[in-house]
Amino acid sequence: MLDWLPENVSVFGEGVDHLFRLIYYISVAIFVLVNAIYIAFIIRYRRKRKGEKAYHYHGNNLLEFSWTALPFALFLFLAFYSDGIWEDIKYSEKTPNPDLVVEVMGQTYLWHFRYPGSDGIFGRRERGLISTTNPFGIDPEDPNGKDDVTTINSMNIPVNKTILVRLSSMDVIHSFFLPNMRVKQDAVPGQWVDIWFNSIKTGEYEIACAELCGSGHYLMRGVLNVQSQQEFDTWIDEQYTTARAALANAQETTNE
Amino acid sequence: MEAVLHNKDHGHAGADAHSESFIRKYIFSTDHKMIAKQFMVTAIIFLFIGGAFALFIRWQLAYPGEPIPVIGQMLPDTWVNDAGAVTAEWYTQLLTMHGSIMIFAVIIPLLVGTFGNFAIPLMIGADDMAFPFLNMVSFWLFPLAGVIMMAGFFMEGGMAAAGWTAYPPLSAIASYGQTLWIVSLFLIGFSSILGGVNYITTVLNMRAPGLKMFDLPMTVWAVFITAIIITIGTPVLASALAMLFMDNFLHTSFFQPENLIVPTRDMTRTAGGGQPLLWQHLFWFYSHPAVYIMILPGMGVVSDVISTFARKPLYGYRAMVFAIVAIAFLGIIVWGHHMFQSGMNPLLGTTFMVSTMVIAVPSAIKTFNWLGTMWRGKMEFTAPMLNAVAFVSMFVVGGLSGIFMASTPVDVFIHDTYFIVGHIHYVLFGGSLFAVFAGLHYWFPKMSGRMYSERLAKWHFWITFISFNGTFFPMHILGVGGMMRRIFDPTVYDFLKPFQPMNEFITINAMVLGFAQFLLVINFGYYWFYGRKAKRNPWRANSLEWQAPSPPPHGNFDRPLHVYRGPYEYSSPESVQDYLPQTTSPEELEEQRRHHERRLEQQNTAEPVN
Ligand code: HEM
Ligand SMILES: [Cu+2]
Ligand SMILES: [Cu+2]
Repeated sequence: MLDWLPENVSVFGEGVDHLFRLIYYISVAIFVLVNAIYIAFIIRYRRKRKGEKAYHYHGNNLLEFSWTALPFALFLFLAFYSDGIWEDIKYSEKTPNPDLVVEVMGQTYLWHFRYPGSDGIFGRRERGLISTTNPFGIDPEDPNGKDDVTTINSMNIPVNKTILVRLSSMDVIHSFFLPNMRVKQDAVPGQWVDIWFNSIKTGEYEIACAELCGSGHYLMRGVLNVQSQQEFDTWIDEQYTTARAALANAQETTNE
Repeated sequence: MEAVLHNKDHGHAGADAHSESFIRKYIFSTDHKMIAKQFMVTAIIFLFIGGAFALFIRWQLAYPGEPIPVIGQMLPDTWVNDAGAVTAEWYTQLLTMHGSIMIFAVIIPLLVGTFGNFAIPLMIGADDMAFPFLNMVSFWLFPLAGVIMMAGFFMEGGMAAAGWTAYPPLSAIASYGQTLWIVSLFLIGFSSILGGVNYITTVLNMRAPGLKMFDLPMTVWAVFITAIIITIGTPVLASALAMLFMDNFLHTSFFQPENLIVPTRDMTRTAGGGQPLLWQHLFWFYSHPAVYIMILPGMGVVSDVISTFARKPLYGYRAMVFAIVAIAFLGIIVWGHHMFQSGMNPLLGTTFMVSTMVIAVPSAIKTFNWLGTMWRGKMEFTAPMLNAVAFVSMFVVGGLSGIFMASTPVDVFIHDTYFIVGHIHYVLFGGSLFAVFAGLHYWFPKMSGRMYSERLAKWHFWITFISFNGTFFPMHILGVGGMMRRIFDPTVYDFLKPFQPMNEFITINAMVLGFAQFLLVINFGYYWFYGRKAKRNPWRANSLEWQAPSPPPHGNFDRPLHVYRGPYEYSSPESVQDYLPQTTSPEELEEQRRHHERRLEQQNTAEPVN
């Protein structure tokens, strides 16, 4: 069944899949065991004639105790075992130092992405400044924000680098889902959540929204381009150039 | 206290079927059995409405954008496009209404409303509920709420469309259909609390003489504990709903941060400063316990049915009771497992993962005890037994899929995918609804005074069981493939395209599953009036309801009861028969034994000795 999983191309995705497999095998074992006993009982302990008496028995405390203690031990083990991977994925103090920070803003029904400009610094932003034309609420007074790069529904990242996604939403709750990276995190308006991942393979992958956000929920599809560092650099340089040109243009029009 | 409660206003001592007007008897009845039947009929009507909605959803997922066959063109143009295909707007309303109806208007009313009302007074040997009038109000709020929930159909913007979980801001900025949904749930909550208080009081105060708490059948225990959960959880839901109503209707900001960009609504009146996650905490604080409201009574019914038809005492009775109590208690501290990816502090994810893993333990205990009950039994596979046996097996699947989701890292991937949809349906359909089927068949003779058709019931069971698995098991695979829940058209995504044949397979099974339910209605509808007359105790069961006539008259029992033992003394060596009713006195038992011995002796002497 786990062959149906989409290809995993992220570092911690291996941990997720490993846990998935482990629980899967344990579950199949439990399922087969319980149902084998069950079916055996169903076949064996049928009533053959009316009024036939069964074994009069009320239970056994030792058995009760063992089938309480064993699942308890197993499930607690699973909880603590899972927690290690969980901490690696989501605890902020365990997040590796990012090579690239990308801000992601959900809007019904699209994704906005924001990269710092060539200065490597994000401009200041503020929730109150968010508007349809300024999805991140970038402060126009802050020079650092002038060259920030924004894209829609398309995210480029370099391969083998730690990416930190800083996530929020302009309107309703969305969920940033990268199936191949084993990443899912709700984007909540009024709140920024950090999530990291690290892709180990170049290629084009899909971005989806996993939280019902309206009737166009299914249309909220984006593309994730995992590129070699070189390709990424070329791409981001192009973006810087266009951003600078746009800025110059804007200044010219205001000067006139 | 007891005396006061027994001496009710419509004062009847024992069973005297006095004539009543049609309205008093069938509409505004205060008789618990009639109210149970009213809950049953209303809920089954809703079952078909919710089921039809599900089939529209399935049609769209299997054949995106294709016209609905036969009736597509007849549907209103707010639902379908010119070609007669489901629109995305209607699709979102459908999935919301399907979930809300099935949970609040089908499963809860069937398990709590129908079985709670029918079984509690009969199983504890009482003549009615403690508060018959509240009971009537509790029922009438329910169809009212159901109609209000669907009335959004006549409003601009249609019915509610934010999912049964109604996460704000989406639900807060929605149109009138959502407002009606909130009002409707509020009324249903009101109805639940009235019922809950009633069940608790009845079980505590109105048990027949001699009936101790630890001699109660599991059905009564389960509904009793469920009623406690209801009275603890529902007020929290009510307060959350009140806040959501104000956000939605009066533009307050309990759940809305500042400056939401919503072109479809005047947001200048919304000040902001709220927290969307607050709703999720409050909602799940109720709704996780609510999933146990939807399974515990089922577990109770199944325990009774399995014990009866295996002719064996329930294995580990006390452990079964304590497991229910443990589930009820732990159920209050696991709500965060619905919010692992919500943006709440991941540290809370760790805590809720541990509590969720622990709550799987009592579920395991129950499963093993059911197996123990069947061990060395003498099982007879009547329709109630078949459904109960299916319940156990399906519940195991649902419990195990729960473990996947309880593991936070795995949940990162499967949260909000079809894996969740698979889980829900294995516990709620494979679990709760099969338990409902078991219970309905089991008590049908008592309710109607007639026997249903065993043959038709078996057809219904087998078709349902097979198509149920064909419908819902593949959903786990879709979830593993990453298919998001609540999407209108999976073919938009390249990674989901390979799953289209599976979606078609599911839809075909779902149609069989849906249409198979007509067998149930035909069986019950016809044999309710024309079936063979039922005996008092057709299953030769021990519990008290089988001491009343079938159907029991107003006031229930035609003779005073005294209880001598628990309800699970099947195949007891004390008795010459394979069962031993709770009311059989030691003297009667002695008499039976002497009678039996005499007969054996006569047989022996009659036989020629050679
Ligand atoms: C062994 C016991 C169980 C465990 C460990 C368990 C665990 C979980 C978890 C972790 C989730 C959240 C998944 C997610 O959204 O990512 C969930 C969802 C759900 N569970 Fe269970 N569960 C168990 C039993 C049940 C039972 C008995 C019922 C009902 C009868 C039930 C009904 C539901 C429903 C309705 C949802 C989905 C809510 C939604 O998002 O729409 N579960 N379960
Ligand atoms: Cu979205
Ligand atoms: Cu839950």
